[in-house]
Amino acid sequence: MPYPQGAANTGGAKPSAALLAPAGSLEAAEQAFGAGADAVYAGLKGWSRGGARGELDRDELRQCVELARRLGGEVQLALNIIPRAPERERLLKELSEAAAWGLGAVIVNDVGLLRDIRRELPLLAITMSIGCGALNADDVLFYQDLGASAVVLPGYLEPREIAAIKARSSIAVEVMLHMVEEFIQLGKCWMPSYCHFAAAERIQPPTRLAGSMKRGGVGTCFRICQQPWTLLLDGAQVDQRVLPSRQISRVAELGEFLDAGVDVVKIQGRSLSAEMVGTITGRYRAALDACKGGGQVESGEAALPAMWTVQGR
Amino acid sequence: MPNFELNTTISSLRSLRESDLRAYDAIYLGNIYCRTFEDNLLERLDDLRQAVAEVKDRGLRAYVTSYGAPRNDALPKVQKALEAAASAGADAIEVHNLGVLRMVHEQFPGMPVHVGGFANVYTDAGASVLKEYGAVRFTPNYEISLDEVTAIAESASLPAEILVHGKMPLGISDYCFLLEYEHKWAEKCPTVCQKNLFLRQGDWAMKSVGKGVLSGKDVCMLEHLPALLSAGHRMFRIEAAYETAAYRSSIAEIYRAALEQTAAGDGAVNELSWHTVRQHTAVGLCNGFYFGRTGGEYVGSQGEAAEVCWVGTR
Repeated sequence: MPYPQGAANTGGAKPSAALLAPAGSLEAAEQAFGAGADAVYAGLKGWSRGGARGELDRDELRQCVELARRLGGEVQLALNIIPRAPERERLLKELSEAAAWGLGAVIVNDVGLLRDIRRELPLLAITMSIGCGALNADDVLFYQDLGASAVVLPGYLEPREIAAIKARSSIAVEVMLHMVEEFIQLGKCWMPSYCHFAAAERIQPPTRLAGSMKRGGVGTCFRICQQPWTLLLDGAQVDQRVLPSRQISRVAELGEFLDAGVDVVKIQGRSLSAEMVGTITGRYRAALDACKGGGQVESGEAALPAMWTVQGR
Repeated sequence: MPNFELNTTISSLRSLRESDLRAYDAIYLGNIYCRTFEDNLLERLDDLRQAVAEVKDRGLRAYVTSYGAPRNDALPKVQKALEAAASAGADAIEVHNLGVLRMVHEQFPGMPVHVGGFANVYTDAGASVLKEYGAVRFTPNYEISLDEVTAIAESASLPAEILVHGKMPLGISDYCFLLEYEHKWAEKCPTVCQKNLFLRQGDWAMKSVGKGVLSGKDVCMLEHLPALLSAGHRMFRIEAAYETAAYRSSIAEIYRAALEQTAAGDGAVNELSWHTVRQHTAVGLCNGFYFGRTGGEYVGSQGEAAEVCWVGTR
């Protein structure tokens, strides 16, 4: 991704950042670019966390790359499940072919895969997925040492944390400023598979396992955390509840994040409709442009339509 | 007889002193979930140094663990805990966070590293990378099967530590929802997470420890120890960070006896041992993901014990 270089600014203008939007379909990619995204990220069928609800097949991915090229944008490919040893070779072959079409970057979730891709495709930019669970400066340095080009951090980090990370690292920092923060951190949850874990394919041994976000690709984690649980204390019911989660949209704080040095503003949601991707992307584009011009993000920009919230996701 | 190691986790100096640890070979010191856990050894560094000394005085190996998901503001404390561990003569550091792995590798290059379960080792390729950073053993991600664990260990030439008993970690959070109940309950932070709290949905149960969720059922691999030993595994963990001293000692005694018998050629588990295991479980037994099935299922002869009973919920 052509990361904007804008740290030195005049006239109150903020440093700039690229805008990265989700593309769960070709239509969503068109909407995202039309609304001002610099790049989109898409999953390749069978290989991305989140699964079929937001994946493109090979032909669609190629069309998406061509679309991005025509519009002056880029496509990042989310290969953010962790492949087993027997399927790693096949994944690298598919990635090699896709990279030749002109991918901007590949998003991965495993240090082993990072190492393999760096070795096989040395020129391809590699982004460490939010599912890697990076939270601190040393996390980012770890991936930097291994040859990653960028790391995705969760939007619940504060601008001062991003600034501290940027002060010690030299690779790009992407922050998912529009996302759902679930109770368990992304990449650190095995609650669904504890309750239900099943082969999602008829082949033996199965490679896609419903319930595992690391070995997903079938589009389900069962959202066990969003179902009602009875809380028992010493065996007696004391509450009935879902586990905490919230929609994060930090568009109103965009200026602070830009000052902190964020390189890429990322929007979660490959499962969102194309129309919604366009709407959200447009709102972030407007906010970025306002900051770039030295203006303020309108306070109303922070208000979220109900359909953007966790319940509507 | 093959050498094996039986270890467990202890969060505070008080818990250490309350526990009969004669059946163990090594102890992990510290609580990985929360900085405000009561008297967490990772925050009370004088206690940590003392704990390392006391563990070694008992003839056991002292390992110091580290936080599962530290943000930047925790790193200075992590740094001090690593320094305290090294100066006290800890035998290894357990890391769950790859940033902390990098810190240990850079600043304490001779210190053996045990990679913990939240580090997400799913493949031999991942294990090999971590080995280059000083890992001398790894706890595989809990989701993968025993066959895969064995294959990874062999391929990466890195021994695996197997959780053989106790409540399996299912997730870690940045937020403690138990704080929402402080105004209602007599118990407050930092002890509320040590209460007997379960989340239940139909037949499913998970144990809540505030910033973490554990399996409600206890992983139990007692009758599968012969298979573990024959697959070449030698390091076994009883996960007891949130258990009583009685649990810690009773379960360890059963496993040590069973491991020694198995190594001597007799893998049978007596009924008294099963009775004790059942007494110490709140909602039943499971095998985790070791047999490639849903984590809460049990494979083996103790199917009845795997059933949710909710009797004697501790």
